[in-house]
Amino acid sequence: MIAPPKKDNVFRALDRKLGAVAEFTMRQYRTKLSTWVVLGVGFIAIAIIVLFYVDSMQKEIEAIDNDGDSADWDGDGYPNGQERIYGTDPDNPESHPGTFTPPIAPDPPEKWINEDDFDWDLLATGDTTVGYDDDGDCRLADTTQSQKDRNRNNVNCDIILDYSELRGEWLEPRSDGFVDEDPDEEKYSKEAIHRAFLLAIGKMGFVFLLGIFLPLFLATGLIREEMENSTMHFMLAKPIARRDILLGRMVGYLGIVWPYIIAMGVIVGLISGFAGPSDGFFRFADLGMWMAIIFATMLATLVYGMLFCALGTLWKRGIVLALPFAAWELGMAILSFNAPAASILRFSVIGWSLNIIDAAALIVWPNLGLFIEMGLWGGGGYNSDFWGGTQLEGADALNAFASDTGLGISPLATIVVSTLVLLFQASVLWIVGSAIFKGKEIE
Amino acid sequence: MIPDLQQVGEAQTQQWAPEVNTPVVLLENVSKTYGKIHALSEITLALSGGVTGILGLNGAGKSTLFNLLMGKLKPSSGSIKLFGTDPWKNPAPYARVGFVPEHEKMHDWMTAHGFVSLFARLNGLTRQEAKLEADRVLDFVGLTDVAHKQIGRYSKGMRQRVKIAHALVNDPDLIILDEPLQGCDPLARTTIMNVIRELGKMGRTVLVSSHILHEIERITEQIIILHNGRLLALGNLHAIREKMDNIPHTISIGCENPKELAKDIINNDAVFGISFPSGDNLQIQTHNLNEVHKVLPSLIVENGHKVYSIDNPDDDLESILKYLTGGLA
Repeated sequence: MIAPPKKDNVFRALDRKLGAVAEFTMRQYRTKLSTWVVLGVGFIAIAIIVLFYVDSMQKEIEAIDNDGDSADWDGDGYPNGQERIYGTDPDNPESHPGTFTPPIAPDPPEKWINEDDFDWDLLATGDTTVGYDDDGDCRLADTTQSQKDRNRNNVNCDIILDYSELRGEWLEPRSDGFVDEDPDEEKYSKEAIHRAFLLAIGKMGFVFLLGIFLPLFLATGLIREEMENSTMHFMLAKPIARRDILLGRMVGYLGIVWPYIIAMGVIVGLISGFAGPSDGFFRFADLGMWMAIIFATMLATLVYGMLFCALGTLWKRGIVLALPFAAWELGMAILSFNAPAASILRFSVIGWSLNIIDAAALIVWPNLGLFIEMGLWGGGGYNSDFWGGTQLEGADALNAFASDTGLGISPLATIVVSTLVLLFQASVLWIVGSAIFKGKEIE
Repeated sequence: MIPDLQQVGEAQTQQWAPEVNTPVVLLENVSKTYGKIHALSEITLALSGGVTGILGLNGAGKSTLFNLLMGKLKPSSGSIKLFGTDPWKNPAPYARVGFVPEHEKMHDWMTAHGFVSLFARLNGLTRQEAKLEADRVLDFVGLTDVAHKQIGRYSKGMRQRVKIAHALVNDPDLIILDEPLQGCDPLARTTIMNVIRELGKMGRTVLVSSHILHEIERITEQIIILHNGRLLALGNLHAIREKMDNIPHTISIGCENPKELAKDIINNDAVFGISFPSGDNLQIQTHNLNEVHKVLPSLIVENGHKVYSIDNPDDDLESILKYLTGGLA
């Protein structure tokens, strides 16, 4: 016989009905082959993206002598850059710093490759003029004044950065001649490719692919399959509201999907942390990004799960109803890359989820926009107009995957608002799903 | 399907209490229609205590009636009350109800013990309480030995008993069994019948459906006959039988010497016809079944006939239905 009821604490209360449904659902998932197929396919899809990334991190990026001063025109063993600094004639083999007293030894040519890297750290002071002429060729006496102060701000050898409030982005830098004109390609590109990868796999791999793929195949049948299998009869014959059955089933679904997402995030985060460019052995700096990616994906699977579960309850072929939603979300995902402020994005799940990642990127990597602009400018091609673009590898990719949060508020506020909106969406879908389920007659 | 937003009730086992002065099951003018098809029409019924058999051919509306009682279907008209509460709007009464569905499908990957304790937890028990409760009910249906085997490996009769066990969790006052004997072997049948009779003796209200008269007859005399969605008869099976006594009946007797037996029995007033379908078989036509059954045993014993079997081939649900519907069945 039944023991007299004890006073419930939170855990005892959870142990009853809701916990039972959730636990049952999780155990049911584990017995189904389809669950493992879906999780396995998700793993393979992410693994393929990671392989491309690891490959690009292993690849050597050729160091280019953008300003050509490692050349030795007169064949005297002294690179042009070194000869210019010492005022000797790079075209005359008789004239070189070796004739000085005491004589100066010739530099190896490599010393004059990538010798004038970006010096944009000044940004930290809030100044918008940056750059330092590391190799000294801007400050030479024979450099004309119009070259030394090409941007006409009465400061020699600097770069002016302009932010356009109107366009919401950094404009092309206005640089004096020969400043930061021979950047380190490898250093920039690896960093840019790494960041682009994080944004790409976070947005498209995790939030879009896992975020839609997992619920599509795991949540659509949460209620429907039990109805079709006639096993729902057992559950409905117990004193538990249908809304609670739906909630318990959802909790069980999240009990499978959320640990999976966390595990995937940790695995890919570890791989990219070791493979990515860093001063130490591991890139701890990305921790915030991975937290945001995992968090955004968890929220996405929650909302899509509620949505697809409701659609599955509504109609036998709920997956057919779910596909147009998935297509809509894909469109919105693509739109968010180009027009993050478009108001139509507010009517999507993915727009809000991606906001979280974009906002986190701005927190983890301050001046991300400037970093992109730096690579697109790439030293400015000898700082003159006729040398053409010297865009650095990775800048374009990063530019494509990074976007503003589009809400016009601070990154932290964006994360809070987006989270609340997603939770609100999930609650509304839960109520709608419950109403559909409650109205269902089950034979 | 437009969601029924009025159905807002929640399981409130703690607050919910069954109404005392109302029948356990109360149906008032309940109809269920699917388009033009009337699955159930105008059923009015009140039940409290004891075992009630619900008889009807396949498609008579037995399952529809149970699905309505279990809140899985919404009545097209009329009202349903379990312990005074509408089950479509509020699942709370199910704390006092056990239901054995007709469907074969179960969660085959679970053990019987896991299955029963899961649903015990849905009754509001904690994990520990549920385990003890599962032990108790599985013992009641005689499955203790195999309780930790997967349901998928069970025979039909054992699966049926698991379903009954899961329905008995929390000691319900109302137990509904939809065709519990279908497909069971004779041994399982007997076990299940004993369990049902036992529950009736314990004072529970038991509803059990079947389309086979003899099955129900062995369990209970109180029956409800459904036919084409209508409530055809309600009451004691024997009373219904007696009413039928005035119509012609056939008794089939298997014996060594049918002709000798025929000579002895033809003198009885109740008998109006005799035929010999085969060498060791005798068929008697009568208006008064009771009378013949009264005299037949003594007649056989006194004259020393060797009799193998006595059968009433038309004493089944079909013939009762035929009688009750005036030959329209």
